[in-house]
Amino acid sequence: MTIKGNTKKLLKLNIFGEDHILQKFIAVSGLLVLLVYFSVSTNNFFTPRNFLTIGLQTTTIAFMGIGVTFAIITGGIDLSIGSVVALTGVTAGLLVKAGAPVWLAFIAALLAGLACGIINGLLITKIKLPPFIATLGMMMVARGIALQITDAKPVSGLPDAFGRLGNGTLFEIRNSAGDLQFVGIPYPVIIMIATALLFSFILTKTKIGRYTYSIGSNEEASRLSGINVNFVKIISYSICGSMSGLAGIIIMSRLVTAQPNAGVAYELDAIASAVIGGTSLMGGIGTISGTMIGAFIIGILRNGLNMQGVSSFVQQIIIGIVIIVAVGFDQLRNRKV
Amino acid sequence: MPEKLLLEIKGVSKFFPGVRALDNVSFDLRKGEVHALCGENGAGKSTLMKIISGLYKADEGEIIYKGEPVAFNDSKESSSAGISIIYQELNLIPHLTVAQNIFINREPLSGFGIIVDEKKMRQDAVEILDRLNVKINPDAEVRTLPVSKQQMVEIAKALSTKSEILIMDEPTSALTENEIEELFKVISSLKNEGVGIIYISHRLEELKHIVDRISVFRDGQYISTDKFSDVTLPQIVNKMVGRDLKNQFPVRKSKPTGKKIFEVKNLNRPGKIENINFDLYEGEILGFSGLMGAGRTETARAIFGADTDVTGEVILGGKVLNIKNPREAIQNGIAYLPEDRKREGLAVNMLLFENITLANLAEVSKSFGVISRKAENQVSEKYIKDLSIKTSSDSQIVKNLSGGNQQKTVISKWLFKKSNVLIFDEPTRGIDVGAKYEIYKLLDELALNGIGIIIISSELPEILGLTDRVVVMCSGKVANILKTRETTQEQILNYAAGISSNNDN
Ligand SMILES: Nc1ncnc2c1ncn2[C@@H]1O[C@H](COP(=O)(O)OP(=O)(O)OP(=O)(O)O)[C@@H](O)[C@H]1O
Ligand SMILES: [Mg+2]
Repeated sequence: MTIKGNTKKLLKLNIFGEDHILQKFIAVSGLLVLLVYFSVSTNNFFTPRNFLTIGLQTTTIAFMGIGVTFAIITGGIDLSIGSVVALTGVTAGLLVKAGAPVWLAFIAALLAGLACGIINGLLITKIKLPPFIATLGMMMVARGIALQITDAKPVSGLPDAFGRLGNGTLFEIRNSAGDLQFVGIPYPVIIMIATALLFSFILTKTKIGRYTYSIGSNEEASRLSGINVNFVKIISYSICGSMSGLAGIIIMSRLVTAQPNAGVAYELDAIASAVIGGTSLMGGIGTISGTMIGAFIIGILRNGLNMQGVSSFVQQIIIGIVIIVAVGFDQLRNRKV
Repeated sequence: MPEKLLLEIKGVSKFFPGVRALDNVSFDLRKGEVHALCGENGAGKSTLMKIISGLYKADEGEIIYKGEPVAFNDSKESSSAGISIIYQELNLIPHLTVAQNIFINREPLSGFGIIVDEKKMRQDAVEILDRLNVKINPDAEVRTLPVSKQQMVEIAKALSTKSEILIMDEPTSALTENEIEELFKVISSLKNEGVGIIYISHRLEELKHIVDRISVFRDGQYISTDKFSDVTLPQIVNKMVGRDLKNQFPVRKSKPTGKKIFEVKNLNRPGKIENINFDLYEGEILGFSGLMGAGRTETARAIFGADTDVTGEVILGGKVLNIKNPREAIQNGIAYLPEDRKREGLAVNMLLFENITLANLAEVSKSFGVISRKAENQVSEKYIKDLSIKTSSDSQIVKNLSGGNQQKTVISKWLFKKSNVLIFDEPTRGIDVGAKYEIYKLLDELALNGIGIIIISSELPEILGLTDRVVVMCSGKVANILKTRETTQEQILNYAAGISSNNDN
């Protein structure tokens, strides 16, 4: 072989070697560029306190994003996330109002999210509704129930304990005089890290995770390989519903108010974080780490632009462009060998 | 050189990550000739065709078409320049009709050129299908067609444009004798019209009917070009695999014992199969023969629980099974390798090892369903070696494997899911002669271990060379069950065509 051939081969190996690694590389560099840009251009951006704020603000997108990543990898979608956030949040609020202990109310809310997910899964697998339609219906139904049971009014006057999960921190440090030295790591951030690790493990290391990919990649081949396709899909939508429930609890807990109007269009943030992180809407491709990067890109953009005083309308424009660029780049890269 | 060169490939190389698919190869094509390109799986045949049609870019070398150097950017460009290609993998759009697929991108227009003239399109489609002498409803959605008919639609699509070069990458791998005959008639008349044809196939016996010259590639390298009449098949095989291959089929070590292990009684699926009865003995290899649409695949799917509206009895080891879906069939020890690897066999966007272990993840998992990558690696390396799958590693994306190596991947999947009854539907589709021999040997060993094997095959030599008995199907029914050693190709064909029937004897 000629030297020319060898170098060409090497070049290809390095640049276009592993698809997934390249995708990660792009997303991570995007994240780093944002970090550097805002650190240089914005006062008080590069501070431990602001990083904790970013972490906290990113948690809800991350919860929903992790959930929807499962649904998208199977080749589906979940449009009911924002409504489920509202429904689970007000479920918790109303139960506490009715005298239930906070922990029990939170568990009930999680179960409500799980139930929404299971229903989505059943509609999709047993009645064979397209995921778009099934979850569109659920989006309206869940929102309607949330509004109905609260009379469309926020549930306020909740006890302090309701706010602890969303506002409390771990590893708070005080000096001997009792002054705050370090605010500690917010509970939601800890839960985010734990759930991300857990679901990443499930997706990459377990049978159910492998089946999730194979169904999205080729459903018929999966069925003919003896995989219980319906069961795996129901699990995926259950995870999505539960994670939406978790997001709902955290959001309402942070506000110490349960808002039936909360979470409108949040599913779009969730889907955006998954897609920016390399999840393919065609199914079969996606990672939790990618979605986390996507969630942080959105979180950092919002935070940085807020600190720079950019209006929320302009923020929308910028985030829209980021989605288009991220996915567009992915498409271009796949086009020609 | 007496004839004018239509196409000339000079020193073309193509590299993929970790793979040298083509290394400085040459090839040429004259007007009105059929030039066959042969080589083992992964030799680089399809890659070269994709370079010609513009799907891939060559890293080195040049392509000269009608005296001019060319480099097409996509197959639309090459097609308008007069080069048609039938790719190895079927590329039809499942939800469009046959006619719409044939004329995709080139729909006849009416109404000021903005409305598709469905009527004309349909008529033109009928005309092309008639020319191929094949009965396919032009209004049928492509996804409802069996692989063989889809292949015919691909051929019709390529014929519907007037072209100077026609590239056919394994057009016959899914076809039965009748369609192949019709295809060859069409090829002959195209030849007379001066079309140059590049023909790729692993069914070497069929080459003698149409081929003028033959070139061989091995491992991405150019080996030879000969006039077809100057070489013998064993010589071609020797050039392909680099050594002599004495026999096409191994000597069977296994033979059926007297023990019946599997039985099918009165299997019915309305409109597809009728009253199918047969049995299978321990250690037996049972063949299924028949024409396109005879119901062989339908029978296999019915046994496997792949379709719902099936009645009848499936008895395994004396026990009547009530199989409602493929999962239950597999749990009972029945495996089915589907004929359409891309649609039903593989998750092509997933990795090689993931596909091999997909049907048997339990065996490579620890507690709580956690998969052991190490165990997966050992399993996949074993099959890569046993079936000589050509790949850069066991974590190659299956889509990037050559067609034959993809087929070996599906076979590996079902070999790893150790079963009592194997139903293999066209298992050697697209697999080269050397690897076929290895697969036959593996099947023989399985039979020796008491496993019952059912092979559905459109290649009669394969049926005759490998099986103990052959079930011949015709129009959804079993026409006869013959002892392979006592039958002939003609007898099988007569039963398959409905010329003979069981009542004759
Ligand atoms: N897109 C790709 N990325 C990486 N490797 C590839 C790609 N396409 C082909 N290859 C590799 O190039 C080699 C040649 O493949 P090709 O498909 O040309 O073989 P082939 O001669 O057509 O084989 P077959 O008889 O099995 O169809 C194989 O080793 C294959 O794995
Ligand atoms: Mg090929």
